[in-house]
Amino acid sequence: MKAAILIASLLSPLAVAGQCDTNTGYAKANYTVTTDAVANKQHTENAFTLWRTPHQVAKQNPQFIELWQQLRNQQMRPIRYFQHAQRGIEYQPSEVQGEQDWSAKYQLVSNALLEKMTLKNSAGEGCELTEHYQYQQAETKIELTWLANQQLVKEMRISSPSYSRTVALTMVEHNKDAVTAQFAKWDNFQTTDYADIGDNESDPFLAKMINLGFVEHGATGFYDAQGNQLQSEHQHHH
Amino acid sequence: MAMTMKKLNLISLAVVVALAGCSDDDDKGPIETITVENTLAVGSEQCVNGGTETVSGEDTNRNGELDSAEITETTVACNDPATSLTAQQLAPLTSNDWFKAAKVKMAASEDSIAAVAKESGKAKNVILFVGDGMGISTVTAARIMAGQLEGKLGEEHQLSFEAMPFSGFAKTYNVDAQTPDSAGTMTAMASGVKTDAGVIGVDEDIERGNCATVAGNELVTATELAEIAGKSTGIVSTARITHATPAATYAKSADRNWEDVSDMPEAAVAAGCEDIASQLVNFEANLEARYAGLDVDGLEVVLGGGRRHFLPKDAAFNSADAVSSVEGDRTDGRDLTAEWKAKYPAGQYVMDQASFNAVNADTTERLFGLFNESHMQYEADRANDIAGEPSLSEMTAKAIDVLDNNDKGFFLTVEAGRIDHAHHAGNAYNALSDTVELSKAVQVALDKTSIEDTLIIVTADHSHVFTIAGYPKRGNPILGKVVPVGSDEPSLAADNMPYTTVGYTNGGGFRDLGDETDADAGYNFAPVTGRVDLTDVDTTTPGFHQEAVVPLSSETHAAEDVGVYAVGPGAHLVTGTNEQSLIFHVMDYAADLVKQADAKLAQ
Repeated sequence: MKAAILIASLLSPLAVAGQCDTNTGYAKANYTVTTDAVANKQHTENAFTLWRTPHQVAKQNPQFIELWQQLRNQQMRPIRYFQHAQRGIEYQPSEVQGEQDWSAKYQLVSNALLEKMTLKNSAGEGCELTEHYQYQQAETKIELTWLANQQLVKEMRISSPSYSRTVALTMVEHNKDAVTAQFAKWDNFQTTDYADIGDNESDPFLAKMINLGFVEHGATGFYDAQGNQLQSEHQHHH
Repeated sequence: MAMTMKKLNLISLAVVVALAGCSDDDDKGPIETITVENTLAVGSEQCVNGGTETVSGEDTNRNGELDSAEITETTVACNDPATSLTAQQLAPLTSNDWFKAAKVKMAASEDSIAAVAKESGKAKNVILFVGDGMGISTVTAARIMAGQLEGKLGEEHQLSFEAMPFSGFAKTYNVDAQTPDSAGTMTAMASGVKTDAGVIGVDEDIERGNCATVAGNELVTATELAEIAGKSTGIVSTARITHATPAATYAKSADRNWEDVSDMPEAAVAAGCEDIASQLVNFEANLEARYAGLDVDGLEVVLGGGRRHFLPKDAAFNSADAVSSVEGDRTDGRDLTAEWKAKYPAGQYVMDQASFNAVNADTTERLFGLFNESHMQYEADRANDIAGEPSLSEMTAKAIDVLDNNDKGFFLTVEAGRIDHAHHAGNAYNALSDTVELSKAVQVALDKTSIEDTLIIVTADHSHVFTIAGYPKRGNPILGKVVPVGSDEPSLAADNMPYTTVGYTNGGGFRDLGDETDADAGYNFAPVTGRVDLTDVDTTTPGFHQEAVVPLSSETHAAEDVGVYAVGPGAHLVTGTNEQSLIFHVMDYAADLVKQADAKLAQ
């Protein structure tokens, strides 16, 4: 069963959708992210929306949108849009291995992590086929509720003695027209290559990018191929 | 002049002069007076140039020698100052390789000065190479890298343009900025007039971003003058061909960022200002419109990136090389590549390596190549391009092969546009690799032309805050950590951590991206503040980004002068420290651009 799921998940989104009448290749999915740190008893809640088409994925936070486009050569090209300024910064497609896992962007959980996890049980069928996975590495435990035929995380909880984070789906729509329209709206924002920022210190928006720098991410809910939680997608490769 | 000093060594030469003297003891014989001459060596206490010391006295103890106690008179005769050195004296110099190489260079320089065509108008062709952001430290580091790639120690290596016989410095500041940008600096070089930062082909009376201030402040460029004069004209860049540096050769714009209509304020479009990409395609018509009765044939060669500014914002126009879901940015529905093809049906439009390679330069009248949606790839990263794209040296070769089909000569501008971008990204590897590629492109130009009739100038528009620091030993890898003379271990700073030779005063700072050959991948990370322990880091990899002192998201330009290197007719005028605008005037002098254009217009 698990092997069949993995094979299906490696196919294109449209192929998987064959098991579910809905075109899950186009999705708008709202998530909440709840984080608890044991040491300082800090509790935070964030929300983001995952938008996707077969070759574009966007993660919308209140202030900015991170968007990835899958290129013909399977590279991913990131763009960051700023909602308030209606501007965008285009990044270069990365050739670094590990940055190239489209599945980790498209479905929040990479196929590599799914493969490592143990299927505990499943319920429902068609679009509602729901599978429960677990994975334990040292003191870190990951529990996943997976909408297999929608390729969507329903809930994911990563926990350790000092820390826990839960990413939970609160709403999903598969409205192709609405999703396409949203991507088109962002595409109309004025964009700048990051390579050109250094030559545009007189542009107030870009000068802010130069001087104030990078906008750090909030809670992401993203995990890498090794199952490690990414505090930020932008970690160094050593 | 005759040498007055005959001996080098201190030799005591006794000249015994026997003089008749009184004798007070017939049994012992008479007491003789002895005179002795000693040669004083060069550098002696008495005579710095050497000389002779004469001592005399009576040999009272009759031992046949003048003992010191017997000296009654001493005279010193110093040599005149030396006016030349003997071959023997010079031997430590003349047998030294550094000395011999410099003598050869001196002779070559004398020949170059004698041979250079100093009269105006002797250059049939002019090629201006601009390394965007290629400051002096970049040239030095690239020279070392190129040498080390060839298995040398590196420091002794010469980039192709460093062997040019004439060079000087250019002051790069803009009229309104101490540290300049490419728009103002390239306008100075292309038109001979320094202007404000951020504006293209217009003088300092412009107000940046104000379309209404363009009219009346437009400048004529060397490319336009050459076009009017009947020469073939070309522009090559690894940046977007609408980017500031190439744009300053053909466009007039109140803002460097008005690369296509979607980048412009609606008011500017409504007021009649034309975006830069449109000006490129309309170059011929726009030039003819400015001068009554003028008939020119337009740019023969345009090669670079920036396809997005030429295509409509419609996925139907996407090329096979697109990296965006919708490649084109134009919101006016115009497909400028189609317009160019319609204007020039005999011309060839190419967009990838294969179609570029297929161009027969001998039979091609006109060539338009847009190889990337945005900037072309870094030279080290070209293999990762989707459709493939040519190198700067390949584009230079093809451009010259097309342009030199005109008996009246040609004017070509070549920009290595991505040196600047790699520095902005804080990645020395790519900045230096692209500088080495520029050196190859210049060598191609030198090989394909003659210094008899072609002026080649190589320079930069501005510098970057890129430094070569510490005391690394000779031959230390230029991208490595500082290893001092006599050691195999890196030097440690006050924080007990090693440090690299090259670094940046500001910027994103440390990233260790290993084999990543795209410098811009570094922008995926926040600026790193403070020092990083590099003990276990290979700092020579393509993906290593050097540490920076002041954390900024993008490293900045620097304000110091840049080098200008020249060969060919008129190259002797490239000397001293000058305003950057002088470069236009050197090119004009060499090729009589204004005079020839005037004559054409008078016809």
